[in-house]
Amino acid sequence: MAEIRFAGYGGQGIIRSGIIVGKGASIFDNKFATMSQAFGPEARGGACSSQLVISENKILYPYVTRPDIFVVMSQEAYEKFEPELKEDGLLLYDSDLVKLKKKREKIKLYPIPATRFAEELGNRIIANVVMLGFFTAVTKLVSKEGMEKAVADSVPPRFKELNLKAFNKGFQHAQDGN
Amino acid sequence: MNPIITAFAKGIKKSGVKPSRISVPSDIPFEPEVVKHLGVDFFHTIRGRAIAFGTGLKLGNPDLIVVPFIGDMMTIGGNHFVHGGRRNMDLLIICVNNFVYREIGGKSAPIQKCEKEQTTTQKFSPYSTFEKPFNATHLANSCGAVYTARWTALHTDELANSIAEALNKRGFSVIEVLLPGPNYYTSIKETDSNLLNFYYKNSVIKNGEAPRFVTITPKEKIIVGKFIDKERPTFIEQYNAQLSKTLGDKFTPHGGKNG
Amino acid sequence: MKANPRNVNTGIYYIDGDVASGQGALAAGCRFIGGYPITPSTEAAEAFAKIAPKAGAVFIQMEDELASIASVIGASCAGVKTMTITSGPGYSLMMETIGFGAMLETPFVILNIQRGGPSTGAPTKTGQADMMQSRWGSHGDYEIIAIAPESPQELFDYTIKAFNLAEKYRCPVMIMADECVGHMTEKVVIPKADEIEIEPRRFYNGPRDKYLPFKPDKDLVPKMVKAGDGYKLYITGHTHDEKGYPILTQNSKVKTQKSTTRRLVDKIKLNADKIIELKEENTDDADVVVVSYGISSRVAVRGIEKAREKGIKVGSLRLVTVWPFPDKKITELAKKVKAFVVPEINYGQVVFDVERCSHGEANVILIPHGGAGVHHPDDILSAIEYASKENKKIEGIIEHKTKLEKLIFEEGYKLKE
Repeated sequence: MAEIRFAGYGGQGIIRSGIIVGKGASIFDNKFATMSQAFGPEARGGACSSQLVISENKILYPYVTRPDIFVVMSQEAYEKFEPELKEDGLLLYDSDLVKLKKKREKIKLYPIPATRFAEELGNRIIANVVMLGFFTAVTKLVSKEGMEKAVADSVPPRFKELNLKAFNKGFQHAQDGN
Repeated sequence: MNPIITAFAKGIKKSGVKPSRISVPSDIPFEPEVVKHLGVDFFHTIRGRAIAFGTGLKLGNPDLIVVPFIGDMMTIGGNHFVHGGRRNMDLLIICVNNFVYREIGGKSAPIQKCEKEQTTTQKFSPYSTFEKPFNATHLANSCGAVYTARWTALHTDELANSIAEALNKRGFSVIEVLLPGPNYYTSIKETDSNLLNFYYKNSVIKNGEAPRFVTITPKEKIIVGKFIDKERPTFIEQYNAQLSKTLGDKFTPHGGKNG
Repeated sequence: MKANPRNVNTGIYYIDGDVASGQGALAAGCRFIGGYPITPSTEAAEAFAKIAPKAGAVFIQMEDELASIASVIGASCAGVKTMTITSGPGYSLMMETIGFGAMLETPFVILNIQRGGPSTGAPTKTGQADMMQSRWGSHGDYEIIAIAPESPQELFDYTIKAFNLAEKYRCPVMIMADECVGHMTEKVVIPKADEIEIEPRRFYNGPRDKYLPFKPDKDLVPKMVKAGDGYKLYITGHTHDEKGYPILTQNSKVKTQKSTTRRLVDKIKLNADKIIELKEENTDDADVVVVSYGISSRVAVRGIEKAREKGIKVGSLRLVTVWPFPDKKITELAKKVKAFVVPEINYGQVVFDVERCSHGEANVILIPHGGAGVHHPDDILSAIEYASKENKKIEGIIEHKTKLEKLIFEEGYKLKE
């Protein structure tokens, strides 16, 4: 079982990231995935987040308390949620947008300039999909095929190609060992 | 209440509408036995909900002609009246203004006349009421009603004509009927029928009068007549137009020809 | 009867519980929803509003919850299946009219995505504190059916079940979900239409002049006709006879009042065995049984698993339908087990019925939770451990606080001298 938190600011597709990974895991990879998100004032402020639990078995407790994986795309969200990350957790972050503060020893760091890559591909709105490609390669929680299907399934047909390109850009970045 | 039912029966006959197509939801003060003989479906709902209930009936089956008889509708059901008008929900409202909530013995109704002194039978406001009443016709018009009229219960023919006309009209129509409550004025301590006569004699017919000028005051004659008769797309017509526009072939208009 | 394919969006989705319920309503044949937006139930209404027009169903945003529920009962009288969608404050506003619907015996469904209360409470957080309100909320005697789903898939499945029960027993059926389940996104499988069983309305088809709107069938439920079918219906919220007429003479009024309300109660009570759905596990040799419903039962499973790993004989009784309450089942279990553990996201509601039915034969332990979150599995485990060790019979309900509550209110509130 893996607990994951996605966080960033509103408009970055943070909630959608949770949905896409959940979809990839539960529909295309036949695992169990439960996504919940913050609603209300906490969803409207600067930091926006979604929580996802992925498991081989039925998920009983739906909330994330100590995430194994923290995917973050803004400084504010980093500062707000970083303390809850497990001591040996994985931290995936947009290296242009998040400046790391005190580093915890056992945490594994995975930087990627996702937003910059997205801009290079023509639209910064797909930064989250670049991040998802990177996430897929780093965590191996969901298969590449499953994630590609989930991405394709979650965007309007005319943006499918661009999104898959973004996904693969992120995926490749991890393969390149950066 | 019976003069209104008589006028309603006449109106139905005159309109040519099959009584079985008519559903009458009412709120509390109206539960006459005679309605059983009209051939309509009758639903005695709860205080103030006749219009909301009627909205459901109409949307559940657009073939129905829904005629809410209301009494409490200006207070506990005020919001439904206002929004029914705004949507132009296809309902014919018979608003029975008895100047008091008759059945429960003299609570002040917000469409009653307030200036004149009252008797002590007004138990809910034993020291007389001082609140300004509604001009229900003006309110209906402001909310978007397409048809408004007011008659006393003794204007049986005029009332029947209005009912017949409104039964064949689409949209939010309001007919206010003045029906006396018991011993409302200290000056008139007689029976209902005398009071009814008092209203009748003190009324003047002014068809087409602007609704804002038809407030009932004790000093002037009560203005009755048909005030507004205009066209505006009903809720279902607007609903069908909007959804056809956005959904195209995927949408089948609600209610077919009666939409 | 099978579902109409036009209403069933067959497929595999990754959607939240609210949306699943909107899909379930349509699949069940719902033709009309009158609603007023309120967090955290809004997504269900939004989902229905989006899919309904394509299947010929109508969604209308009414002016308030009073109007929503009244329109739903009106539309049901016009012959269609109906539902409204709400949460705490809106649910409170609907209460008077729910009693009216129960009195008229119109079938309708209410989806209540419970949130933290009272009052505005915690709109975006979870709670299970409307359970007694669903049972007793309107004045007078009547019975309703309440179902508590624990996942988005169940919100789809049990919304259909709710419609079926409403039609079968002609009473209000409440889907008592909560924010956690409503806002949780999971895989939901919408099957093919021919795999979905639908209960049709109990329409009358005998001779027209013989129709009596409130004459019960063998199962105590009367048959219905539609407004506009020429039956000259006379339907009233007053106490009425089989014709539907209010009874005005004093003597018959007493008699009719008794027979009307007695049947409203008995048609559910006497059919309870057919209505009640329970999920029972490992109760055969259990010392302790966890009685739970909705999201609490889902969370409890983890606590139960941990307890079993420690060798404690613990079973589970999940109330899929909470009302009518499974009196017989609890009484039967009480004779065999040492204790019941009842986790609820409130300060004690359904636990009262567990205590009532256990007749002092088993300890009853409540794990209260103030809402805005769910129990931690460890809270369930710790209550089970306590329950299995306690050999004394203790009168009344024993409170077993959650770890969080102990942390916040170490001593609890006490009155000062």
